[in-house]
Amino acid sequence: MGRRRRCRVGPDEATRALPEAIAALSRTLPAGPSPETFRRAKFDCPEAAPALWRLLFRVLSPGPPDGASASLSLEAQARSVKSALRSQGYPSQALAQLPDNGSQGSRQLLLALAWLLARGPLLEQLLAQSRVRLGDEMPVCECEALASPGPPAPGMGEAGHVDIRHLQWLMGKLRFRWRNLMASQQEQCALLGQIHLYTRGCHSDRSLGHLSVTETELLRDPEGGRQLLRRLESENARLEAALEWRRREQVFWQWMDTVLGASQPTFLPRSPEPGARELEPVARELQALWEQLQEAVEARRAAWEARVGDRGPAWSAARRALDEVVGQDLAALQRAWEPGGGLTQPHGPRRLVRTEAGAPGGPGLRAPEVIEALRTQEAHLEVVLRQLQGHCRQELARLARALPGLIWIPPPGR
Amino acid sequence: MLPAGCSRRLVAELQNALDSCAERQRQLERSLRIARRLLQAWEPKETPAPEPTPRPETNEEAQFSACTPSPQDLQELELLTRALEKAARVRKGISKAGGDKAPSLKSASIAASPPSRISAPAQASRRAGSRASQTKPPKGIRQTRVPAKNLPEHRLLSVADATCKRRGAQAVKPEPGLRDQQMVPSAAAQAPEAFMLKDKGVLLQLPVAFRKAASQNSRLWAQLSSAQTSDSADAAATAKAQFLQKMQTASGWPSATEVEAEVGRLQKACSLLRLRMEEELMADPEDWAQEHRCLLTLQGLQDMVGQCLHRLRELHPGGRGRLHPLKGAAGGGAWLLPCEAASPVLTAVGEQLLRPWPEGRLPRASSPCGGGADPVWSPQLLLYSSPQELQTLAALRLRVAMLDQQIHLEKVLLAELLPAVSKPEALGPRWPALCRAVHSLLCEGGKHFLTVLREDAPAD
Repeated sequence: MGRRRRCRVGPDEATRALPEAIAALSRTLPAGPSPETFRRAKFDCPEAAPALWRLLFRVLSPGPPDGASASLSLEAQARSVKSALRSQGYPSQALAQLPDNGSQGSRQLLLALAWLLARGPLLEQLLAQSRVRLGDEMPVCECEALASPGPPAPGMGEAGHVDIRHLQWLMGKLRFRWRNLMASQQEQCALLGQIHLYTRGCHSDRSLGHLSVTETELLRDPEGGRQLLRRLESENARLEAALEWRRREQVFWQWMDTVLGASQPTFLPRSPEPGARELEPVARELQALWEQLQEAVEARRAAWEARVGDRGPAWSAARRALDEVVGQDLAALQRAWEPGGGLTQPHGPRRLVRTEAGAPGGPGLRAPEVIEALRTQEAHLEVVLRQLQGHCRQELARLARALPGLIWIPPPGR
Repeated sequence: MLPAGCSRRLVAELQNALDSCAERQRQLERSLRIARRLLQAWEPKETPAPEPTPRPETNEEAQFSACTPSPQDLQELELLTRALEKAARVRKGISKAGGDKAPSLKSASIAASPPSRISAPAQASRRAGSRASQTKPPKGIRQTRVPAKNLPEHRLLSVADATCKRRGAQAVKPEPGLRDQQMVPSAAAQAPEAFMLKDKGVLLQLPVAFRKAASQNSRLWAQLSSAQTSDSADAAATAKAQFLQKMQTASGWPSATEVEAEVGRLQKACSLLRLRMEEELMADPEDWAQEHRCLLTLQGLQDMVGQCLHRLRELHPGGRGRLHPLKGAAGGGAWLLPCEAASPVLTAVGEQLLRPWPEGRLPRASSPCGGGADPVWSPQLLLYSSPQELQTLAALRLRVAMLDQQIHLEKVLLAELLPAVSKPEALGPRWPALCRAVHSLLCEGGKHFLTVLREDAPAD
């Protein structure tokens, strides 16, 4: 398995290798079209187009497929594919010019698929997205949750004015929901702890030691267990196909070169420096920003190094926690302008494993470290919130002073 | 009353926050239901295929008599028969009360015996568990405490495996005696003891098929992640890079629209970075940790600006068409460096193109999950040692999420409400009340209110 074969591939093998590579690819892809579709796409046959549109839609839509996205019409899917490719920076114009009804352009779609495959670990990402999770997972950071507050739902129906008391009521409701959430979360942790305790020593994998809820559930409910097993087995099949694809993909890329050759007419003559004029102001701004930051960083670094000696292990652990937290912060910031890029699922949820306290333990993150990092994050956020509130207080005080004849008594405890 | 546009936006924003909270609650409820159910007594799920078995015991006995039983076995047999009769009486009593599921169970258990000689005795001993106190356990068999009531076969077998393995070889003793024990299960079938995870959880074992599939699954994932660094991967990487290059050239990239889009993105990046820088510069660090954090953030921002400048240079005619090594805040080699989305530089697989960070600067935007060689594909563990620890962790996580949401809401509210109260003359007599309400929302999180007194001349 995975043996390198650097020998020349003879013509017979070559003719066999390509279909097998494509077959492996189509087995790995979710909703993969048949190898025949690929072959037709090279010759730009229209009947191959719908399947490829659907495949690209499935590949480019974030997250697992749900009923809503699956029921979109081919046109809607085609439009969505085009905009997703555009936002990812797909270079070719030809695809954007294809008709929306999904009836043409299989060769362009094939090229787009190859482009996506070439850019990054697309197959692995797709597999990871739909991965069967056997353990009790807990995310250690909030990046995925934070990524979701999208634009507020349109069409609220609140055409009119709203009393500020309504807002106060909504805030109160929100506070209450958070309290509920925290209480439920505590209960869940307690239950998880119990289940892990009661099933200690049961797992065949010694490093895990105990069963997870999913695994215990499959023992309790054999039908569910059978379904889980089926899902596992189909994932295994896809994984094997992916490994086979990795072994054979060389020949696919050679073939794609020929496909690209066949689609030359999309070459546009390069207009001389179309956007160079637009680049200037942005470049200047960025340069200025960089210099400002440089100044600020120099000053603070000097101050920091003057203050700080070596503080020992506790401090370096705290430093690590800070590093991680800042890294996440900035990655989240970057996502604001990098539409589809950035870290795709870097902070996956982790499987919870209960161990004896003080046990040396194997690989894996330890809860105390995560707690430390989270505390740092919490402290920082509290500071930010306080500062924002302080700013509001100042503003309102300023407004209040402007109007004499009123006495403002702050709430008790201030 | 607030102006219409402002109202709409604020209500929408708050509603959004409420919805995301509700979504989390739903997910939690789902997993809570499952966990609670697991900790209660497990409902029996019997396997079908009932067989009319009037006296299966005697048939079995007849089979067993082929082997010469030792005196001890006979004695045990005697004991077991008595227990069986007693249990049968009990069962009749129970079956009169409610639906009788025993025959199917009995037949299932007996049907299971031929394929698994060893597990059957353990099975039996398990079933007999509840009656074990009455039947003196034969010496050869260690009584287990798992009278898994009406458990389907495969699970019983797995439990049996467990008991056999765990309780040691002693479980496999004089066969006839053991097999006789099997008769008892029908009796014990109606034992009122249900399966409680608390008591018998340690004796569970996953079914073989599942174990195989799961281990194969993790093996395949590990192979897949290591496959990225093998030799064939390098050759493929070169092929991919060439293909991407050709695509860029063939489509005449970058064209005007693409440059425009990229410039737009970079402008947005510039303004966001500037905003963030100003926030950091304004912040007044209270302790060393915040100071250090501020420093790290500013450094990170500087690096990001550097990346943007780099991209800009690539868009410029001079930079096109060449592969540039990029310093990137790459979280491990496998990540798609965001900047490279639009540039001809090969990403992900070309780890050689990404230089590691110099010491002291922002490390590879790593997360607690660790950016390493294969960060995501292999399962990652989070070890905890007590439920309190887990609760603390979870509570902190939620608290961070809540604070994040609060900060976001605060910014939105600030942007909308401060202008709404900034013109006291426009609102007239209602202004103090509105101001008070806004103050509580913005400065006290809506929890506390200040008091406003009107300073009137004393009436006399």
